[in-house]
Amino acid sequence: MGIAKKISIWLAYLLLLLALPQFSDSILAISIYNQMAIAIIFALSYNMLLGQGGMLSFGHAVYFGLGGFLAVHALIMIEFETLYFSIIWIPLIGGFIGLLAAVFIGSFSTHKAGTVFAMISLGIGELIAASSLIFTDFFGGEAGVSGDRTYGPPLFGIEFFQDVEIYYLAAAWVFIATLFMYLFTQTPAGRMANAVRDNPERAEFIGYSARRIRYISFCAAGLFAGVAGGLFALNYEFITEENLNAATSGRVLLMAYIGGLGYFIGPILGAVILTLMNSLLSNYSDLWMLYLGIMFLLTVLFLPRGFAGFIMMHQIAWLNGSLKNLAVPYIITGVPAILFLVGGIGMLEMSHSEEEIFHYLGFELVTASLVGWISLTVMTLGALFAARMSLPQLRDAWEEANSLSQTEGES
Amino acid sequence: MSILSLTNVSKSFGETTIIKEVSLDIAQGEKHAIIGPNGAGKSTLFHLISGRYNVSGGTIIFNNEEIQNKPPYEIARLGLARSFQVTNIFPRMNVFENVRCALLWSSNYRYSFWHLLGRQGELNDHAMGVLEQIGLKDKALFPSGELAYAQQRALELGIAIASGAELIMLDEPVAGMSHSEAENAVGLINRITEGKTLIMVEHDMNIVFDMADRISVLVYGEIIATDEPEKVRANAKVQEAYLGEVASDA
Amino acid sequence: MLEVFIFATLNGLVTGLLLFMLASGLTLIFSMMGVLNFAHASFYMLGAYFAYSISLHFGFWTGLIFAPLIVGCLGAAVERYGLRRVHQSGHVAELVFTFGLAFLIEEAVQFFWGPDTKNYQSPDLLDFPLFTLFGQEFSAYRGFMIGISILIFIGLYRVLTRSRIGIIIQAAISHPNTVANLGHNVPLIFMGVFGVGTALAGLAGVIAGPVLTTFPGMAIVLGSIVFVIVVIGGLGSLAGAFIASLLIGLLQSYAIASDVGMPDLLNLLGISFGRDHMLNDLWTMTLPQVAPILPYLLLVLVLIFRPTGLMGNREE
Repeated sequence: MGIAKKISIWLAYLLLLLALPQFSDSILAISIYNQMAIAIIFALSYNMLLGQGGMLSFGHAVYFGLGGFLAVHALIMIEFETLYFSIIWIPLIGGFIGLLAAVFIGSFSTHKAGTVFAMISLGIGELIAASSLIFTDFFGGEAGVSGDRTYGPPLFGIEFFQDVEIYYLAAAWVFIATLFMYLFTQTPAGRMANAVRDNPERAEFIGYSARRIRYISFCAAGLFAGVAGGLFALNYEFITEENLNAATSGRVLLMAYIGGLGYFIGPILGAVILTLMNSLLSNYSDLWMLYLGIMFLLTVLFLPRGFAGFIMMHQIAWLNGSLKNLAVPYIITGVPAILFLVGGIGMLEMSHSEEEIFHYLGFELVTASLVGWISLTVMTLGALFAARMSLPQLRDAWEEANSLSQTEGES
Repeated sequence: MSILSLTNVSKSFGETTIIKEVSLDIAQGEKHAIIGPNGAGKSTLFHLISGRYNVSGGTIIFNNEEIQNKPPYEIARLGLARSFQVTNIFPRMNVFENVRCALLWSSNYRYSFWHLLGRQGELNDHAMGVLEQIGLKDKALFPSGELAYAQQRALELGIAIASGAELIMLDEPVAGMSHSEAENAVGLINRITEGKTLIMVEHDMNIVFDMADRISVLVYGEIIATDEPEKVRANAKVQEAYLGEVASDA
Repeated sequence: MLEVFIFATLNGLVTGLLLFMLASGLTLIFSMMGVLNFAHASFYMLGAYFAYSISLHFGFWTGLIFAPLIVGCLGAAVERYGLRRVHQSGHVAELVFTFGLAFLIEEAVQFFWGPDTKNYQSPDLLDFPLFTLFGQEFSAYRGFMIGISILIFIGLYRVLTRSRIGIIIQAAISHPNTVANLGHNVPLIFMGVFGVGTALAGLAGVIAGPVLTTFPGMAIVLGSIVFVIVVIGGLGSLAGAFIASLLIGLLQSYAIASDVGMPDLLNLLGISFGRDHMLNDLWTMTLPQVAPILPYLLLVLVLIFRPTGLMGNREE
């Protein structure tokens, strides 16, 4: 890819970030944008470990949480004028402690990758989360720690009372963090991280200590997770033990995996999708976590390269121009598939509903009535059957769309 | 001038001794083949020299430095490169990246996270040069995991020689290849190891007798003969070990 | 003092044996298939919930028999249709799959049974004190827990070492390819081992439910500890898992029962810090407070100094 093309992609990214509040600047929208920003940095940092480095961590939230805690304490110090600096540097403070923690913890946990690494990360994560309830001075116990971001020196007159002001700061940090994490992948350390992921043994035979490479990735990932934590502190002005614990670690794993590990853009996608599910879907259904769980498991089983992977699968077809040939086959399979989902979700929602009338997508059914059950069941099973039946034609169309390139390439 | 010396090297796994008191001196610039029946311990010997295994006894000296029990990356940095019997590349990276990674350490990049590889003209040119040598230049951006078998073996070779190592160890480089593919591979090996020292494990006797300056015969973990090809062929012990295999290939 | 020690030991034994029931299944699955089943404790939870529902209509003892069977079948299905698919993508993918499964099971349990704690009762038959020591009662139900755990282990041991299938399983643990070449249906064995392992976890849930409370968070509470045990005991060693289970069970029990803390240690050394001291939390730490952390501390220490655990021999 030419340098002009690359720069224009980054420029487009920056412009999109800056222009987002134009689409909607309601309080809910701004809050979602801020959450997305934090999630993107966090998920990208996680991908440095898993997608780039092949290290599965169940304790990445530690660096995020520690970053957040130090950031909140920094806010408190600014408030009481023990220190005085603009809050725009707060994410850097988070990054600093994330890095420090990673330097220490990585020194003994990066000897091996694989299951051993995963277990150590789990152990450390639980250890620190549990310790946080003991060391209540720093961690605030069950109630957490809260601060106020408006006491710092104003930046061009802005005192950061409003969330949208924080958004622009967050946008700047997301851009910078994304840029640096991307650039890291283009460096010797970043590339060797990929090599060590693919084949740690061979990497050693070309002169690199696999352990050292993993350690560098680990520290970099900790740094950026801390930055995300610092941004979290600025946004919410509040942090608790929950932000360090296994549930948060699990969430970032979900984000990165659903988005797609093998692609740089994957975690960004995953962060956006999950934030939307978290904030929007949760308003419509109590069962959104169940759907998330099902979606995650289905992704692991059937879409191991995530949504980004799914999109990239179409690269060959796109390059040959045969992408449009897939449109109709997708619709033929897609419509029953969507109906299947609608029916299935309807059944789950209805069995969970506690009201007399069950409202679903503009329809009204009497909850748990025979009519309701029969109609939903028929729809779900019928759609599933139709989708299964239509798979062969999709498969054929897919092969054809992709095979054109093979014959061309070999000539 | 010995570039590599093994003195009484042994390796045991628990009760079983695989390598028994092997001593061997390889001269600089020599093309040395190691042959022997299956299970003789040829790959194990390679693993011992390249640092994958620790020795149970003895010393290995490379360019006047003791290298036994050193980790593989330290040995590689001293100028010793090896290829593998089972293709051992970086499958998820493309061909160009595979070779470029092999060049990084010897080009002094160390663990840098501040050099942008896209801007390293000299490095990239060098990598392309290696690709041309191994005949994979037009497959540069191809995902290496999807190459045809013979091409993967060529890449395997490319990774081994890319760093400009003085001593190159190849473990059955033409295994699994058709006759013509093997011929090409041998031509390639000859070209790229010109002026360097080569140790090769190989089963194909024609190739061995063609390429080697000297041959060592490894049987049940012991070297029973080290000599020029003709003398090895005539050696009674060797003939016995191979049950006439060597004689019939004449 | 003695009474505290005796009861702490007995409770530790109960916990330890329960933990081993979970850890043994996990170890078998890991030894054989190389996958650390993150969802193992979730099957434990399912055992408790199924037994609860069954017991509402048919009594505790019916639940005791059928719940583990149901869980085992579910486990076998998971292996056949889920894990087997993911297996070719490597260990990381397997771990992520079982992690996702754990997440899903927790949500599913809340969906089907609700988020509240269930009143899963121990059977009336065992509702009497087994013995009374120094004025404290030890319930018969806990005695029953110890008894049935020991019975299961003896059974497991005999099957693994004496029966034909047990020997095949032991062989398949270290040499699955050879066993397959000998004509045994290795995938079927895998499915069976996974099913039995999860059934054991379910059984643990059935008997622990009434005592450790049946609620959607019960998998998380025990899950990490079981991993710690399997890792400390040595990934792949049943004997190691047994020792580690008892160790952890007793350690936690003693830690909680004791009143010792940092203040005592400092007193002994003649040091004291003021209340405002920066590390006040550290100086006022007591053993019961630290008890939940001890297993993780042990895990990290073992993984650093002895990555193959205390008795393991499976190289990664």
